[in-house]
Amino acid sequence: MSQLNKKKTEDLAKRLRKNILDMSLVAGSASSHFGGALSCIDIVAVLFQNIINYDKDNFKDLSRDRFVLSKGHACMALYSILYELELLNDDDLNSFEKSESILLGHPVKNLDKGIEVSTGSLGMGVSVSMGFAIAAKKKKIENKIYAILGDGECNEGSVWEVALSAPKFNLDNLVLIIDRNNFQQTGKSNDILDLNSLNSKWKSFNWDVCEINGHDIIEIYDAIKKETKLPKVIIANTIKGKGFSFSENNNDWHHKILTRNQYEEALKELE
Amino acid sequence: MIIDKKKISLWSKMGSRATFGLSLMDVVKEMEDLMVVTCDVSTSAGLDRFKKTYPENYIDVGIAEQNMIGIATGISLFGNRVITTTFSPFQTLRCCEQIKNNLGYMNSNVKMVGLASGLVLGTLGFTHASIEDIGALRSIPNMNIISPADCTETVKSIYASLNNDSPTYIRLTGGQLNNPVYEEDYNFEIGKAIRIKKGKEIAILASGTRVSDSVLASEKIYQEKNFQVSVYNFHTIKPIDKITIKEIVNDHDCLLTVEEHNIIGGLGSAVSEILAEMDKKNVKLYRMGVEDFYPKGSDYNSLLKLLNLDQDGIYNKIIKLLS
Amino acid sequence: MEEKYKKAFKNALSLGDDVVIEKLKYNEIPEWDSIGHMTLISELEDEFNISFETDDIVNFSSYDVGKEILNKLGAS
Repeated sequence: MSQLNKKKTEDLAKRLRKNILDMSLVAGSASSHFGGALSCIDIVAVLFQNIINYDKDNFKDLSRDRFVLSKGHACMALYSILYELELLNDDDLNSFEKSESILLGHPVKNLDKGIEVSTGSLGMGVSVSMGFAIAAKKKKIENKIYAILGDGECNEGSVWEVALSAPKFNLDNLVLIIDRNNFQQTGKSNDILDLNSLNSKWKSFNWDVCEINGHDIIEIYDAIKKETKLPKVIIANTIKGKGFSFSENNNDWHHKILTRNQYEEALKELE
Repeated sequence: MIIDKKKISLWSKMGSRATFGLSLMDVVKEMEDLMVVTCDVSTSAGLDRFKKTYPENYIDVGIAEQNMIGIATGISLFGNRVITTTFSPFQTLRCCEQIKNNLGYMNSNVKMVGLASGLVLGTLGFTHASIEDIGALRSIPNMNIISPADCTETVKSIYASLNNDSPTYIRLTGGQLNNPVYEEDYNFEIGKAIRIKKGKEIAILASGTRVSDSVLASEKIYQEKNFQVSVYNFHTIKPIDKITIKEIVNDHDCLLTVEEHNIIGGLGSAVSEILAEMDKKNVKLYRMGVEDFYPKGSDYNSLLKLLNLDQDGIYNKIIKLLS
Repeated sequence: MEEKYKKAFKNALSLGDDVVIEKLKYNEIPEWDSIGHMTLISELEDEFNISFETDDIVNFSSYDVGKEILNKLGAS
């Protein structure tokens, strides 16, 4: 499971984007967080095709890797991969954002379905991930904890509490991936709260920092696999809405209704 | 753990915080997976000895309460029993949303201990005194809330909460020389109020260190007026003991709740919610507590006196009701 | 009084027979930390039927100083 298969990863990413299209259509007038889910898809594909050690059969093992989508509004990315793992089925995806669904607009913890943590309130999943990493170390479990967070999410002070404290606990099993798509809810991140050099900020907190193209399969894989004795943060420069011409870098697609027409057009782009 | 008179005497002299810290030295022997997560408060929580003796079971995340709750949650999801602790306002309000999402919504097995709750830190001002903590957490589903009456009950509530899976908040009140309510071991059950004095007409429902002063006030009344008021220890504010409240309402004409907390949101509010739904209408309820304002900071005894929450204050209230 | 005093130290701080009690100072052995101190105070109060003032508790920094305080309080 730990060698890069580029072709399979690209195919998986395509299927994940298709699943997102399907869910967005199902969501209908409830809308969905389309753009932010798409920007992290290549990262998710690399992780699950090549690196993460669990599947639907061993998902409840204590020694499994952990994947936390701290940017919980990108839930379609999570549900999409859980569907590919067969932890979710067609009925589940078709219930997305419907009444009493187990798949809401932000993930709700459900270990039977592969959802580790309830996220959605930004800045919290990273902290729980740090707890996973500490517990794994204490129990001498040799797994890895992966968390994806957003750049807007880095406005939250609680993210910096993790940044400040993780090196103290020698958490070389913790890998944070910042999906830096340069947008947040109401506009460009630089306009709302400029993060400036995320790279130098995290470095100054004594993390191992990589900055990559968040859509380059090889760069993503190499960054995740790179050996380090420090907790690792990967700053992945991405494009919000990546994968479809109408949504790329278009912040209207932060949270929007996908019409049937748009769905059909988008499908063509996936071919 | 065996609880004897010697331990009870020692604990009451130490106060609830030191008792809490000391008790964990015994707890961890029975529960080796216990993890204690704190925010730079070992000494204040009586945890210096625990920290030195069991460094692998002790995690200090620095003064970062939101991170503390997230980390505690992550650890609990790996199967460990977890206690978090810091001063009450920071334990409950600073990280309230993390408590909501990680403990309430995810129903995580984490126990939070709020140090020096109520009015005991009055000389530090109301950034540190804590009269809002119960109110804030009561509206979070799945959360148990306990306010131990004395140091012995502090120990018993720690054990009781660690022996179930519910997210729990334990608020410690009082300082050193914490009057013992219980002189020997007794049966403690989360959610079951305890009758300490059986009387008639007037019933005091108290929590935390107000229980002891309520008992003393009732004894003074009995000596002077040969009249026994009932006194109940409502150590668990959530889940509130509806059955006992209903019995009390049926057997008395007047209820008095006493707590070191705002009269909005705490024990008084919880009791009034039950009373409001009962058929018996001619029962009066008086909520004694902090009447929704911030008093000027002052030492503990002065604040209790100012707010009529000390033994004399409770006594005077009852005298007024009896006349 | 001295024997009773030494016994209180031994019990409160759970000391072994090899410890030279007369030379003990607060915070110089792990057993005599802040919790040990409160346990010791409590034990002495019970054994000698006395009550320490706050200043006494704070000043009680060694076996010798403690002996002086006990004498002051009229312990026997």
